Amino acid sequence: MSIENKQSARRLLKEYAYSLGMIDKGYANRTLYIDLSGNTILEKPVTQEMKDKFTGGKGFGLKYLWDAVTPATKWNDPENEIVIANGPLCGITQYPGSGKSLVVTISPLTNMPVDSNVGGYFGPFLKFSGFDALELQGKADKDVIVFIDGNKGIVRIEEAPVDAADSHVLAEQLTEMFADSEEDKRNISVVSAGSAAEHAYIGLLNFSFYDVRRKAARLKQAGRGGIGTVFRDKKIKALVVKFVGVKGNLNHPADQGTVNRTGIKLHKEIHDLDDKQNRMRKIGTANIIEIMDEYDLLPTHNYKFGRHKDTYKINSYVFQDMVTQGMADGCWFGCSMSCAKAADNFLLKSGPYKGQKVVVDGPEYENAAALGSNIGVFDPQVVMELNFYCDTYALDTISFGTMTAFIMECYENGILNKERTGGLELNFGNAEAALELIHQISRGEGFGKIAGKGVRRMKEYFVKEYGADPAFLNDIGMEQKGLEFSEYMPKESLAQQGGYGLTNKGPQHDEAWLIFMDMVNNQIPTFEDKAEALHYFPMFRTWFGLNGLCKLPWNDITPAGNKYTSEPAKIPEHVQNYVDIFSAVTGKIIDKEELIRQSERVYNFQRLFNIRMGYGKRVHDKIPYRAMGPVTVEEYESRQERYDKQLQELLGYDPVGKSTEEKMKVMRAYREDQYEKLTDAVYKRRGWTPNGVPTLEKLKDLGMDLPEVVKVVENNL
Amino acid sequence: MVIKMIQVNGKEFPWEEGLTVAELLKRKRYSYPKIIVKINGTLVEPEEYASTAVRDGDDVKAIHLLAGG
Amino acid sequence: MKVLGKKPELCIQCHACESTCSNTWFKTDDAEKSCIRIKSSKEDAAKAEITVCTQCGECIDICPVQALTRDKSGVVRIDKKNCVGCFMCVGFCPELAMFMHEDYIEPFKCVACGQCAKNCPTDAIFIVQE
Repeated sequence: MSIENKQSARRLLKEYAYSLGMIDKGYANRTLYIDLSGNTILEKPVTQEMKDKFTGGKGFGLKYLWDAVTPATKWNDPENEIVIANGPLCGITQYPGSGKSLVVTISPLTNMPVDSNVGGYFGPFLKFSGFDALELQGKADKDVIVFIDGNKGIVRIEEAPVDAADSHVLAEQLTEMFADSEEDKRNISVVSAGSAAEHAYIGLLNFSFYDVRRKAARLKQAGRGGIGTVFRDKKIKALVVKFVGVKGNLNHPADQGTVNRTGIKLHKEIHDLDDKQNRMRKIGTANIIEIMDEYDLLPTHNYKFGRHKDTYKINSYVFQDMVTQGMADGCWFGCSMSCAKAADNFLLKSGPYKGQKVVVDGPEYENAAALGSNIGVFDPQVVMELNFYCDTYALDTISFGTMTAFIMECYENGILNKERTGGLELNFGNAEAALELIHQISRGEGFGKIAGKGVRRMKEYFVKEYGADPAFLNDIGMEQKGLEFSEYMPKESLAQQGGYGLTNKGPQHDEAWLIFMDMVNNQIPTFEDKAEALHYFPMFRTWFGLNGLCKLPWNDITPAGNKYTSEPAKIPEHVQNYVDIFSAVTGKIIDKEELIRQSERVYNFQRLFNIRMGYGKRVHDKIPYRAMGPVTVEEYESRQERYDKQLQELLGYDPVGKSTEEKMKVMRAYREDQYEKLTDAVYKRRGWTPNGVPTLEKLKDLGMDLPEVVKVVENNL
Repeated sequence: MVIKMIQVNGKEFPWEEGLTVAELLKRKRYSYPKIIVKINGTLVEPEEYASTAVRDGDDVKAIHLLAGG
Repeated sequence: MKVLGKKPELCIQCHACESTCSNTWFKTDDAEKSCIRIKSSKEDAAKAEITVCTQCGECIDICPVQALTRDKSGVVRIDKKNCVGCFMCVGFCPELAMFMHEDYIEPFKCVACGQCAKNCPTDAIFIVQE
């Protein structure tokens, strides 16, 4: 069917007209609520109290989600919501990284709130259409799309007009369908999932932005925690927003000049220094592949090792040659960091789109590590192909990579075999098997059906069905709270073990990345130092998500004078930029201390949300031993010199004449004890009880002693 | 023979005659582009790495500025 | 290609060009709103530095919405209707000759209209057709 025919076949289920508003100092002061069960659409006002306590973005999302669910709500219950929120700074076009959407839902992987930060034009367009957030509740009977026309003030729920399930097709078709002309396409953004999200628990959401040079709908991912799975469970095929007329002042900031000047200052810094620093404009986050390898931090073979002799085959220069250069690769206007790289005309060699030439959005560092070294694949073509299929099928590349690595280790240990995998020889490095696995997941077939449920459920399944040793699986299964680890080796950095383990949503490095500060620089040697870092950085980084911002322009470029500052790791000049633009947009004058407090309010709220759902305590903050030290003899002996030296220096234990097993045991007891001590120090610094519960004093101090929150604390002390 | 030591990021590292900042970074495999080097608290600019000697007993800091993806 | 040529050694820093430019394009006499800027060299105050667009076109590839294009005469122009006011072109201009003023939400630059050259008493600036 042609697109024109499809357009005439669109069937309206509900139309809602609203009056257009004016954004005032970063806030539309209104949110949109849609119940798909009854096709109810309403507007909700944003109160001053909401702004004061939750700021926006992820804060608004978590507040609405809290109000929507009960402690008994499961991810696939109709009352579960997907909330997409932008934040007061979202949509400014002058400061790099200001177009992010924050998505929250009750996760099928963790059974508690997950949050994901994603680019693309949807968040800014949603705000320009008049809304600080969009709540999606209920479940549709059959596949629907939701369309928001931000210029006419219309919201429509329609039966899904297209059959395609996979994002690279859906985003193109819907962009075509809703745009009046080629020029109009940049005014459309599509949110969609893919076929795998109908079967797997690691489904993601793709947010599109139209690339005027490639003439293609590009995709950015809300990857973590299975939000795409919830989306398809609600039978939402896509969300489409259209807004014509983006200008640099739509947020009506209190002080436009400061926003402009601060943005230009950073543009100039990126222009002058990026080539000498991280080459973000050339290859994006993939610039660190070989650096991680060099420092023994690149997850290899399910995090057994941090380095591989073949890493050079997938290093950043290999990918730099594959991605098209010289494009304005920002995922929102004004992002001069331009890390959203893409390879054009990439020829697919497997799967349903075999033989087609496609645009691959990537590779980012996480993809190269997850789909490359961690599963033992050092073929850049395969990494790109897996990257493409993860995106279009709507699978989180990180979870897919980490769970495939886990499967491969199980396979090599005889827990899995050809019979159990339906013929897939899932040894490390078997690219063909990895590709077949991803296609199976997308179809919900064979072993792919089990694999797509993630590491935690596979562990349960392998113990129950195959009699696998649960202790071994818990040691090597790189998940915590149900979420798969992202792609850094935390073994030699206690602070990063905390950076992964002592988090709200699970082991994702977006709260803290302290490996260099800790392991290499030795800047935070004591437990108190580490705890301070595990307070400051998670709070600082939470703030991006409250405002609709990206983290990368904070520290993937550093000002020339940064080395002369007292705390170079914090990048003080950039922190001040954020203070300045927040004050300039909202008219609420803050300082860097208040910035941290804004985050603390939401961070503690999220922690208590987890506790309310039955998680979020000390027991849930434990991490698998693979994240802390050598689980197997092979691992210990591969780094024997390092470990022997540590036993001697840190414990006064003489390794001479001891078996590897004996040494591993001593090492393990020591490292596990270190993690417990770290946990104590961090909880104390954050104002929590030894069991990880935020105290009433802390909540009162932050002004977050809301009755429903206090109740959770009282029930859990 | 007594091995002479310097401090690199608070940990001991063997020193020998003629050691420069550039050579030290190479031996430590410190290849990250955003490193701040200080010797006994004094900043060394990148263009001086090859010509700056590290002396016996020096306290060298090679601070990597990376806080992750 | 049409471009505003310059001979800084002839410039007497009378700033008539700035005045002409801002009057021509923004109906005001304000050097901060001029597409050409004159300042004294740091080394020698008697020496002038003239900052003006060379029409090199580096900004064209920077623009996320292709609002910067080169016209038939080779002049780089801003399509204000399409411009989203991100000012990346300002930060990335190798000549520092793309400007922002907070009264406006789009940048501005020299389009080699030649008005300033007409009012230059020493012919330090002039239109070049290549």
